[in-house]
Amino acid sequence: MKTLKIWMLSLILTGLASVSFAQGGKKVEEVKFKTSAVCGMCKATLEKGLAYEKGVNKATLDVNSKVLTVAFNSDKTSVEKLKKAVNDLGYDADASPATLRAYDRLDACCKKENGSH
Amino acid sequence: MLFSKRQAVFALTLWGLLLPFIGQAQALAGRVVDAANATPLIGASILWLGTSQATSTDANGHFTLAPAPNGETAVLVSYIGYKSDTVQVQGRAHLVVQLKPVTSLQEVTITGRQDRYSALTPTNSQVITAQDLTKSACCNLAESFETNASVEVSTSDAVSGAKQIQMLGLDGAYTLMTTDNVPALRGLATPYRLNYLSGTYIDAIDIIKGTGSVLNGYESISGQVNVRLKDPEKSDRLYVNLYGNSLAKWDANVNTSFTLTPKLSTVLMLHTDQLSNRVDGNNDGFLDLPLGKHYNVFNKWKYNTGKQWVAEIGIQALRETRLSGQVGYRPGMPQREGSLYGIESETDRFSAFSKTSYTFKNRPYQSIGLILSGARHDFDSHYGPRTYDGYQNSGLANLIFQSAFGNTAHTYKTGLSYQYEDFQEDLAGQRLSRKERVPGAFFEYIYQNSKNLTLVGGVRADHHNLYGWVYTPRFNMKYDFNPNSILRLAAGKGFRVANPIAENVASLISNRAFYFQNNLQPEKAWNLGGSFTQYFEVGERKGAFITDYYYTTFQNQIVPDMYSSPYQVAFTNLNGESFSKSFQAELQYEISSMLDVKAAYKYFDVRTTYNGQLLQRPFIPNHRAFLNLGFATPFDKWRADLTTQWFGNRLVPVMEHAMDQHNAPIKTRTVHPYAVFNGQITRAFKRWEVYVGGENLLDYKQKNPIIAADRPFSQDFDASMVWAPVIGRVIYAGMRFTIK
Repeated sequence: MKTLKIWMLSLILTGLASVSFAQGGKKVEEVKFKTSAVCGMCKATLEKGLAYEKGVNKATLDVNSKVLTVAFNSDKTSVEKLKKAVNDLGYDADASPATLRAYDRLDACCKKENGSH
Repeated sequence: MLFSKRQAVFALTLWGLLLPFIGQAQALAGRVVDAANATPLIGASILWLGTSQATSTDANGHFTLAPAPNGETAVLVSYIGYKSDTVQVQGRAHLVVQLKPVTSLQEVTITGRQDRYSALTPTNSQVITAQDLTKSACCNLAESFETNASVEVSTSDAVSGAKQIQMLGLDGAYTLMTTDNVPALRGLATPYRLNYLSGTYIDAIDIIKGTGSVLNGYESISGQVNVRLKDPEKSDRLYVNLYGNSLAKWDANVNTSFTLTPKLSTVLMLHTDQLSNRVDGNNDGFLDLPLGKHYNVFNKWKYNTGKQWVAEIGIQALRETRLSGQVGYRPGMPQREGSLYGIESETDRFSAFSKTSYTFKNRPYQSIGLILSGARHDFDSHYGPRTYDGYQNSGLANLIFQSAFGNTAHTYKTGLSYQYEDFQEDLAGQRLSRKERVPGAFFEYIYQNSKNLTLVGGVRADHHNLYGWVYTPRFNMKYDFNPNSILRLAAGKGFRVANPIAENVASLISNRAFYFQNNLQPEKAWNLGGSFTQYFEVGERKGAFITDYYYTTFQNQIVPDMYSSPYQVAFTNLNGESFSKSFQAELQYEISSMLDVKAAYKYFDVRTTYNGQLLQRPFIPNHRAFLNLGFATPFDKWRADLTTQWFGNRLVPVMEHAMDQHNAPIKTRTVHPYAVFNGQITRAFKRWEVYVGGENLLDYKQKNPIIAADRPFSQDFDASMVWAPVIGRVIYAGMRFTIK
């Protein structure tokens, strides 16, 4: 049982850790955040918002798992900056909570207490 | 026998009567979902009708409601932003309730942001969104309609720079203008009113064609334009917009909002536009557009308890000065032969409104609202030698009660209103003044079956201190053949007291004598029409086809007759027929994920009896076409827009030949079709947006728009015969900066 727990934990950690790989000479990394997104509209908001962040190549939210996958150039931005960008759009990113003001201004359907739909 | 037969019958009857109640005396469970996509609604309230026994849904939309206290058989299900619904339980223990998003225009109640799909309103409505507003040049209401096919904006004359909207081929005065659903900018403010609201103040614009609701008074005849101002609760912390164009006109706009307490928020909006460069592109010796300085402040407050009470207050103040006329004209030059012709005006306006609404506890369908508004409009001007000064004080109180009969399929709005107007105009020594006091009452009944039919019937009765009782019936119907095919019908009456000078300021820029018939009567008209909307999908891309037809017939109209004689404009009551027939077909389609197209064709037949002759209204073309291409890359990083408006042949009066003979039959000639192109490109960054655009890209101009421009003090001078742009190509650039 204990081994299973450790095994699970390491699996999660691996999943959440940044994976580096080279692409066209640029240093492109990928990071996954567990977000508080609940609907298709959240997906649009997050993907659009991140598209405007410096250094972001691509951002994709899987609504079912709430996992946001961001491909970014680590010379131009960092995981912390990306987390903050997600928070400033009104969503939690892993343990980092959403900026209150941004969360308040989300449409009712995008608020996390509404549950996934 | 223990019981007699009679007793047995009695007992059985009693049992029969009690049965439904006993059947009811159990807990009710169920689920509340969105009717469109079956997603659960969280926190929806379920209430035994007529009681205070209520519960709300959990995170999955499920609920359990304790048994009805007095054997009630129906529950009321409600959710913010959705239409409340009454459901007969009919002995069931488990219910699935589907709610639909709110459809009706909410005149008073403001409960969070709602989705407004034009597929739902009972009237033929369109919305110009904030995103659409950024597609056209900055920064006033006139430019906001550039990418919309239903509203036309035209220049009224070649000198003053005044612009007017037109709907259904009728002058903008017949369109009711409201801000946040409160009537605004009426009466003497008409000539330059489109300048008084900056585009940056606006969240969205609702355009309602044809007869609307009776709640906002008797005035609207061709339709309603409602400007939704920025919502203090949702506004960005900072929004800056700077704009400059090739004529050296510039605009600056700053909006800032604060949330003072969780319940109280405010937005402060500032606007200025200035032009001090003298432009005479057509070399007629007259400025093509006036020099001017305009300062405008709007402050809006919102107090939202999140429960029963919501209140909003708005305050606006503006000052606008204009100078136009011959290029060499300077303020204060004498206005007589041998000098230079000039126009100067100064306008000061102060207005305020408040809206308060109370929604009854446990009765979300029932609310009461009070709207108060007041304005002071003050102007001093001279148009050449003719002075035109005046003021208007207005006050309006409107109390609206909204509730339902039995269940929410039958709702109604009723209330009382009081309107006060104090007008005074001095035109070259001639004084016109009037005071209006109009108490009124209105009632509107709305029937909505749960499937496909909405009926709205309204009537109002007002007592005008000058013109007696005014009855205004109005009717709207919406029928969905299926969710994609919608038919709407509208019929109704309108009434308004015209302000002939303010509505015809263009004629002041001539040496025509103003002649008023004695005993001018209010304008009255019926408007009948309908529209058909078909939503469709081709190749997985969405589109809509909208077609409408409206017929407006005037029982009385104040006819400005500028055509019977070149030396006067006569304002007379309508003597004969006056009508407008308007047809429009519009297609909207998303050609690819990056390209949207809107195309429209319009046909107008507008005729009025002038001096005994039924004539086409001059300057209004029979045929018009509109094409808008909107291009956007993913996430709107690049946006580009191109809009073309094509105007067919139109009749214009021939004044030059009429000058010899008085009272000759009106002569007209046909002017050729032309097209105007506008375009814009925007690049968006995280907080910045930069835009470049052009208006009248083909540089189409009317030749010699001013008659006798070289002799402005002669009797022949006339700048009001304008049917095409006076200003040529204008290139502009600007930027927007936002902190959310």
